[in-house]
Amino acid sequence: MKLKEIEKVLVEKFPDAPLSRDETGMSGAQWSIAVALSGIREAAKAFDKAGFFLESITALDFEDTFELVYHFNYYEPKSRVVVRMLCGHDEVPQSICDIYRGAVWLEREVHEFFGIKFSGNADMRMLLLPEDADYHPLRKNFGKVSAYHKREVIYG
Amino acid sequence: MAEQDITQETSRVYSLNLGPQHPSTHGVLRILLDLDGEYIVKADPVIGYGHRGHEKMGENRPYKQFLPNSSRMDYLSGMIFNHGFVLAVEKLVGIEVPERAKYIRVIASELNRISSHLLWFGTYVMDLGGFTPFLYAFDDREQILDILDSVSGSRLTYSYCRFGGVCRDVDSRFIDMTRAFLKRMETRWADYDNLVTKNIIFIHRTRDVGIIDRELCRQYGVTGPNLRACGVSFDVRRSEPYEVYDRLDFEVPTGSKGDALDRYDVRFKEMQQSCRIIDQALDQLPGGAFVAEKVPQKLKPPKGDVYTAFESARGLSAYYMVSDGSPGPYRCHIRVPSFGNLNALNDVLPGTMVADAISILGSIDVVIPEIDR
Amino acid sequence: MEKKVREPGEPVVQFALLDDILNLARANSLWPMTFGLACCAIEMMAAGASRFDLDRIGAGVFRPSPRQSDVMIVAGTIAKKMEPVIKMLWDQMPNPKWCIAMGNCAISGGPFEYEEQYAIVPGAHLIVPVDIVIPGCPPRPEALVQALLALEDKITGGEDRNLLRRFKRVSEA
Repeated sequence: MKLKEIEKVLVEKFPDAPLSRDETGMSGAQWSIAVALSGIREAAKAFDKAGFFLESITALDFEDTFELVYHFNYYEPKSRVVVRMLCGHDEVPQSICDIYRGAVWLEREVHEFFGIKFSGNADMRMLLLPEDADYHPLRKNFGKVSAYHKREVIYG
Repeated sequence: MAEQDITQETSRVYSLNLGPQHPSTHGVLRILLDLDGEYIVKADPVIGYGHRGHEKMGENRPYKQFLPNSSRMDYLSGMIFNHGFVLAVEKLVGIEVPERAKYIRVIASELNRISSHLLWFGTYVMDLGGFTPFLYAFDDREQILDILDSVSGSRLTYSYCRFGGVCRDVDSRFIDMTRAFLKRMETRWADYDNLVTKNIIFIHRTRDVGIIDRELCRQYGVTGPNLRACGVSFDVRRSEPYEVYDRLDFEVPTGSKGDALDRYDVRFKEMQQSCRIIDQALDQLPGGAFVAEKVPQKLKPPKGDVYTAFESARGLSAYYMVSDGSPGPYRCHIRVPSFGNLNALNDVLPGTMVADAISILGSIDVVIPEIDR
Repeated sequence: MEKKVREPGEPVVQFALLDDILNLARANSLWPMTFGLACCAIEMMAAGASRFDLDRIGAGVFRPSPRQSDVMIVAGTIAKKMEPVIKMLWDQMPNPKWCIAMGNCAISGGPFEYEEQYAIVPGAHLIVPVDIVIPGCPPRPEALVQALLALEDKITGGEDRNLLRRFKRVSEA
């Protein structure tokens, strides 16, 4: 089963990355893994080799940090994996656009809504916002905001 | 001599703007084409002309107030997106849905899927130049809209699915109208076959046009009928069954090559399978409550995330919501299938002719406001 | 003798009966431009389809090019990125031209307008001069038919001047 395969590969590559199981299925995946900022390319290469596809890249804005959430999936039942990555407000994560071509647009979207720059992605133009937009709408210091928390408030 | 060189250089590649206002761009899409004569050298889709800020709106309001937004993203599968949102919140809060409500929601979603595919069918053939199937398809679609209108009050953008069930029960009139519709469609498939599927011009314009193979699908995250057309049998209703799909017997049609004709075939067969699902669901429809008994007015969800995937008419869609314990989400992200489907055009369009580009764009069935959110 | 003040935009030379006939011709053959932006576009297409036929009131010929159309039906939400495009298309349309704002989003931003909304233009009237508004989210195709008939009334001057008004309002006895 692809899910067991990729679990073995990732545990081998990232021995001290916390892997949390999800019995309830709330997060849509059986387990999720948290990698360091520099580890996303290794993880993406492992998923690419195993034949997974990149479902979505999104980001969460907390007071103390950003968190990037990658969802990978395979064409078998219940094969979704969540890869989480903490990224400081001024840090620059690496792009995976040469591993997954679909990541070019996904990273452009994260960049324009959060201001996170991806090193290695040559195309950082605005995707959904007007070309001359200089604001990042989904930041919690823009527009109407109902709450701005630190990460531990939600995830403990 | 220098002048000759300049004109030869500059006349090689010509930039053409396709859209954002164009009769066949399914919403407001703009593609910057670099053309060499009639052939496309580079295609760069520019989107964002329908960006309305759904994700920011989701963060600023309680879950119940996001219900109208859920239908208006992909307005052709509005009921399915509405259904998916309600499933996500129910999973987060832990609301049990009665059996009757599950069946009603499945029937409504499948009717919506048929109406979305019918509209795609009508407009696709119209893009290729055949105006008549558009009128036939819309006629059938009006029957579905009448059925859904009678029970939900709205023709296009529904807020019919609510937390815990649906907002109104279906009566015998709904069931009679649905059964009459299913009976009517049995003869219509043959009509559409004769009008379109066996039409030699249609076949020439769609066979071997816009081949999206399995590797390209995987690179761009293409899902839905576009993925199934290249032979991968991946449907969220089978891989992560929700509601009562595991009790219903239906096939997941696949193609082989991944060209536009295969995509057309897959969607056509999907409509017939949806009719089969509705038939079985109507047979199995139990009595009982149509909404859960105790649904709190002000939801107090636990902290954490929830990710619910469902199969919309265009592919795998999902709601990813992060809750901080308050009555509204902290982050509300929607994964839309048309994002990846359109993204794949970056690699599919170069090398094709402009007329084929229209055929390819129509066959992948994108809805731009869904991408723009 | 009181001097009649000319309205701005009213032509200097007026032809009376010929004007009436020209207005009648214009009103009964309004050619809309295909300009669907969001959900209301689908109801506009349904209005042009077989059940709520727009062709029977002369407006069934949807022209893709603004240079060949009379009426711009702004159907859907106007995003900020789309604003210069609408202005350009309106300028490209030849006179006489009219604009119908279809749906709540084109009237006032609709369900997407809230304080500090950053992404949309709350209403088509901020960009182009709107003649008829159709409320609804989305409005039924019958509402679009009613709007086109109301536009006909506006063009021809109503039942006082319209030689061939084909319909009676329900309130008229």
